[in-house]
Amino acid sequence: MAGSFLVADRVRAGGGQQPPPARPRRRGIGWAQRLEIAALSGPAILVFLAFVIFPVLLAAYYGFYKWKGFGPPTNFVGLDNYRTILQDTAFREALWHNGLILVLSLVFQGPIAIGLALLLNQRIRGRSAIRVLIFVPYVIAEVIAGTAWALLLQANGAVNGVLRSMGLGWLAQDWLANPKLALWTLIMILTWKYIGFAVILFLAGMQNIPEELAEAAAVDGASYWQIQRRITLPLLGPTIRIWAFLSIIGALQLFDMVYIIWGQYVASTAGTSTMVTYMVNEGRNASNYGYGSAVAVVLFTVSMTIALLYQRFVLRRDTDGALTGGQ
Amino acid sequence: MALKRTLAVATTVLALSAVGLAACGGGDDDADAGGNVTMELWQNSTTGPGKAFWEKTVADFQTAHPNVKIKMSSIQNEDLDGKLQTALNSGSAPDIFLQRGGGKMAAMVEAGQLKDITGDISAESKQAVGEAALKTGQIDGKAYAVPVSILPGGLWYSQDLFQKAGVTTPPATIDDLNAAVTKLKANGTPIALGAKDAWPAAHWFYFFALRACSQATLDATAKSKTFDDPCWTKAGEQLKAFADTKPFNEGFLTTSAQQGAGSSAGLLANHKASMELMGAWDPGVIASLTKDTKPLPDLGFFPFPAVPGGQGDPAAVMGGTDGYSCAADAPKECTDFLNYILTKDVQVGFYKGFNSLPVNKEAQAAVTEPYLKAVLDAYNKAPYVSQWLDTLYGQNVGNALNVGVVNLLAGKGDVAGIIQAVNDAAKKG
Repeated sequence: MAGSFLVADRVRAGGGQQPPPARPRRRGIGWAQRLEIAALSGPAILVFLAFVIFPVLLAAYYGFYKWKGFGPPTNFVGLDNYRTILQDTAFREALWHNGLILVLSLVFQGPIAIGLALLLNQRIRGRSAIRVLIFVPYVIAEVIAGTAWALLLQANGAVNGVLRSMGLGWLAQDWLANPKLALWTLIMILTWKYIGFAVILFLAGMQNIPEELAEAAAVDGASYWQIQRRITLPLLGPTIRIWAFLSIIGALQLFDMVYIIWGQYVASTAGTSTMVTYMVNEGRNASNYGYGSAVAVVLFTVSMTIALLYQRFVLRRDTDGALTGGQ
Repeated sequence: MALKRTLAVATTVLALSAVGLAACGGGDDDADAGGNVTMELWQNSTTGPGKAFWEKTVADFQTAHPNVKIKMSSIQNEDLDGKLQTALNSGSAPDIFLQRGGGKMAAMVEAGQLKDITGDISAESKQAVGEAALKTGQIDGKAYAVPVSILPGGLWYSQDLFQKAGVTTPPATIDDLNAAVTKLKANGTPIALGAKDAWPAAHWFYFFALRACSQATLDATAKSKTFDDPCWTKAGEQLKAFADTKPFNEGFLTTSAQQGAGSSAGLLANHKASMELMGAWDPGVIASLTKDTKPLPDLGFFPFPAVPGGQGDPAAVMGGTDGYSCAADAPKECTDFLNYILTKDVQVGFYKGFNSLPVNKEAQAAVTEPYLKAVLDAYNKAPYVSQWLDTLYGQNVGNALNVGVVNLLAGKGDVAGIIQAVNDAAKKG
C-alpha cells in the first residue's frame, strides 16, 4: 500500500530534493520599462476596475438601501436586508439546493469522468469520435441545451412519449415539476452538460503522467487496475483538485440552466432554485434592487470564502510556489 | 406581432377603474411652439403592422407640426425595461416612452423622472377617453401617463371544441364552468395554463378574489398590503377546489404562456386545449401561434364566471391599460404627441395595427371581431374594473403573490402560504 504511493511521492517531489533555487534579487527597473508596463497593462486594469471591481463595490453600497432602481437610492436601512436574507426560508432553500448540487456534481461527475477518461486514454476504436461526442454538450450554448431538455422532459414531451411507446408508460414522470424528481433531473442535465469538460481535463492530466511509471509497474507484475489505482489516480490528483474547484464554483453560481428550464418562478416550487435565481427573482422580478444587491453580496461572500478555504487547504500543495512565491 | 409581449407584460401595466363618458369628436390639437424641437420616442414594436402604425403616426404628427422632429426607436420588448431604466438613471431618457405603470411608474415618479402632464391633457382627450380611464395614468391625482389601449381579462375559448363537447353556451357561473370542464375532458385538455410564467396562474387567484372580495377590500388591501380579510382565504380555497378537479394541461407548471406551440396560448391556437384565462392581448398572441399565423377563426370570449356567495360584484372585470409617458425634461410638444395618439383616427390605426382594444370610445366603434366586441361588452357592463392585483399591489408584493399561487397549484403550499409570502415580500421592498 504505502509503497505504491512512494512512486507518486518521488515523482512529485522531483526537483524538491535539491535546494530551491535562490530567488533573483529584485533590481530596480528603468523608466522606459515602467512606462511600457503601464501602457500595456493600464487599459486592462482600467477595464477590470470599471467592470468588475466597481460593480462589486456598487452592489455592496446598494445592499444597504431599500431601492426600487429608479433614481439614486435614499432609503438607508443598514443591515436590514442582510437580516431578511438570512431569515428568508426561500433563501435557505436555495442555499441548500446549491449545497446539494455542489456535492452531487462532485459525486457523480468525478467518477464518471475519470472512468471515461481512463477508457478514452486507451487506444480503442472510434476514440476521437467518442471524445467529440462527450465534449459536444459542453460546447452547446446553455440556452439551447436548456431549451432542448425542457422540451424533451415536459410532461407531454418526447422522453415520456418514448417511454409510453415502449410500453414503459408507468415510468413516465413529470420530470421537471415534481419536487421529488426535479433536482435529480437537474443533476442529470448538469452531468450531461459538464462531463465533457471534466473528461478533457482528466485526459490532459493523464497525458502528463510519464508512461515509464506504468511500464515499470507492469514489469513488476501490476495489473491494469492496480496501475490505475496506484499510479494514475494519485498522479491525477492535482488535476482532480483543480476540476473540483471549478465545479464547486460553478455549482455555487449556477443560474442559466435552472432559469431556462424552470423559469423565473417555478424553480423554487420544483426545488431547483439557487442563490442566483433567488437573487434575480428578488432583485429584478420583484424590482427590489437594494435587496437583490444584498443577495449578490452574500453570494459573493459565500463563493469567495469557499474558494479561499479550498485554496488554503486543498490546493495549497498544488499551487505552492506558483501563487505564494516559495515555501 | 411584437406587441404581444408588451401586452403580455400588461400584467404590470396601468389599470383602468371604469369607463368614462361617451366621447364626441377628437379635434386636432393646437400645435404651437416657436423654434425647432427634436424628441425621441421609444416603443416596443419591432416588426409588422405595429411598427408601421408607429411610423405612420410619427410621420403624420410631424406633418401637422413642421417644427417637431421625432426620432423613433423600436426596442425589443424584453430589452425595453432595462434600457429605459438605464437611460432614465443616466439622464439620457427618451422624451416619450412606453409606460408599463404599476410599481415601476410609481418608482419613476418618486425619482422625479416623469413629467407631470396633469394640465396638458387636452379637453378633447379627456372627452374621448374619459376621466376614469385617464385615472390609470395618475398617482395621487397627478397624471404621468396616458392609456392607449384597454386590456381586460377573461376566458378565451375555441367555439368548435366547446360545440364538440356539447357545451352550448359559455359558462356564466362557476358551476357551469365545472360542468363544462367535465364535458371537455373527454376531448382533451379543458384549460391551458402557462404557470412557468407565474402570472397566468396567479390570474386565476385574482379572479376568484375579484368575486370573493368587495371592491372596498381590494382597495384597502392595496394600502395595507395585509391580506387579513377572510375573503382572500376564501378565494384561495375556491381556487384550490377548482384546481383539484384537474382542469389544466398536464405539466402546466413548466408550460410557458406565450412562447411556441407548446405554450398555453399555443395549445389554444392548435386546438389542443379548449380555453385559457388571459387578458385582451391574447387574440394576437394566439394568432401568431396558429399554423398559418392567422387569427383563430373560432375564437370566443366570455367573462370570468360568477362565483356565488362572494362580496364582489359578479360582473366586475379585471384588467389593465397600456400607456405612454413623457420624461421629466421632455419638451412640452411631448404632451401634444400624447394627445395626438388619443385621437380617433390614430386610435383606429392602433386597433388595426395591434388587434387590441383602443381606449378612445369612438375608435372602439371600429372594432369588428366578435370576441373583441364581447370583451368590450363585458367591460362596458362592469360596475367596476379592478387592476391586475400584482399591479395594484406593486411589483414587490405582486411577485410574491404570483409565486405563492404557483406553490398552491403545485401542492407545495397552502392558502396561508400565499399570505405569508406576501408579508415576507413587504419586508424586502
